[in-house]
Amino acid sequence: MTPRARRLVHAVLFIVLPALASGCAATAVHPWDRDLLAEKTMRFIPSPMEYAVDQHIYFSKEGSTGGQDVAGGGCGCN
Amino acid sequence: MQLEAPSRPSALRSRLSAVACLLLASGMPAAAHAQTGATSQFDGSVLIYGEKSRAQVFEPTARVTRLYPDGQSLSAQLGIDVITGASPSGAMPSGRIQTTTTPSGHVTRLPAGQIPLSSFKDIRGALDLEWQKPFWGRLTSTTGAHASREKDYQSLGANAKLTADLMQRLTTLTVGAGFNRDGVFPVGGTPVGLSDGSILLGTGSNPKRVASAMAGVSRILTRRWMMAVNASRAFERGYLTEPYKVVSLLDANSGVTVGQLTEQRPATRDRADVLVSSIYHLTQDVLYLSYRYYWDDWGVRSNTVDLKYRRELQDHTFLQPHLRFYRQSAADFFTFGLIQGAAVPDIATSDFRLGPLRTMTLGATYGFHLADYPGEFSVRAEYMRQWGNGHPPDAVGVQRDIDLFPALDIGSLIVGYSVQF
Repeated sequence: MTPRARRLVHAVLFIVLPALASGCAATAVHPWDRDLLAEKTMRFIPSPMEYAVDQHIYFSKEGSTGGQDVAGGGCGCN
Repeated sequence: MQLEAPSRPSALRSRLSAVACLLLASGMPAAAHAQTGATSQFDGSVLIYGEKSRAQVFEPTARVTRLYPDGQSLSAQLGIDVITGASPSGAMPSGRIQTTTTPSGHVTRLPAGQIPLSSFKDIRGALDLEWQKPFWGRLTSTTGAHASREKDYQSLGANAKLTADLMQRLTTLTVGAGFNRDGVFPVGGTPVGLSDGSILLGTGSNPKRVASAMAGVSRILTRRWMMAVNASRAFERGYLTEPYKVVSLLDANSGVTVGQLTEQRPATRDRADVLVSSIYHLTQDVLYLSYRYYWDDWGVRSNTVDLKYRRELQDHTFLQPHLRFYRQSAADFFTFGLIQGAAVPDIATSDFRLGPLRTMTLGATYGFHLADYPGEFSVRAEYMRQWGNGHPPDAVGVQRDIDLFPALDIGSLIVGYSVQF
């Protein structure tokens, strides 16, 4: 891992993670304010099947993998 | 002293709160179930994928999910890939016109600057199972299993994930792990790496094991905004070489190809990545943005930016443009060819997917309903372009005048259908 990559990862881990864990929002989001958040579109993977197809394409054409999940099967395509 | 009774929330506020809590506690599938009374969901898609003058893929996939009143869900997904066409063999352009004659007498002339391709045809079947179960109010476990098989590759895998909702469900922590037990059994046997291919290691299956782990945190930042950070690692052990790929031997002066060797990769690979995702709701439209940094001990580093914008249209239709940009550095042992007579390294590959490549994806999804049919239809069309530096500084002879990494144009079309019943 290059020093530049290490700095980038450290920046993510030490700045973004605590911000997310502690909550950098100015005010709390009460349950009755979560109507928009409850919509199907507000998921990080709105369509698991389309996500799986995309990951399969990228995996077969690129040298990287990983991201949202540990799931997903092996393939002889790469 | 008489104390005043604590103020009580209004009846309307209490009811709204209860409804919101119920929706969030039970998860989206169960929420949809509660709204429609459905107990099952079917998702189906057909992928048509084509690379210009190379591979074509036809991939129908079906997924059935059973939704239970207590929030559990059980899903099974079956996919079939029909793959035909050709892919680069790893060999460099010969630098001169090549004429080949097949046993049937068919004569083929390959231009001097053309990347050699290898034809293939295969069918892959894959089955994925997933069981999701909420428990203790704030925890959800997800366990999955995978099996796939193709002509020369088999994969068996299992994975598990646990999510915990914390801090009034504003924060969700996720940890997960997976293991794959794969086997590679090349047609015609496994060649010895960096040989002329005539010597075989064996004709049986070569083991490949992949263990992976991930941890993540997602956070509701505002009424409209969610962010997540995920980090994952994967450890691959075993046969990681592409048995059909080769590395060209080049004449040191002219650059003309004079032979080829089978490729050879390390027997281990440790991967890692960090993904930052954001979803922002604009009252009607939704903006998805993510960035991933990836690195491994083969020397590959990559940056990926993915942007989607879901635009809600009239009559429950939507249009979702998609833009993705990917850039990777080459693996340490990637080469555009070896010089004949020079010392042969222990590991070498000319597989473009381990080269210094870029990928740009541009597309859009259109979602709609048909009046006489339940469920939602979607059509997605995407264009993908891959390219790299086809004029490396260490190219020799005629190779300097040839684009060694020609751009590849790819088109894909996905037709999807989703219905609850």
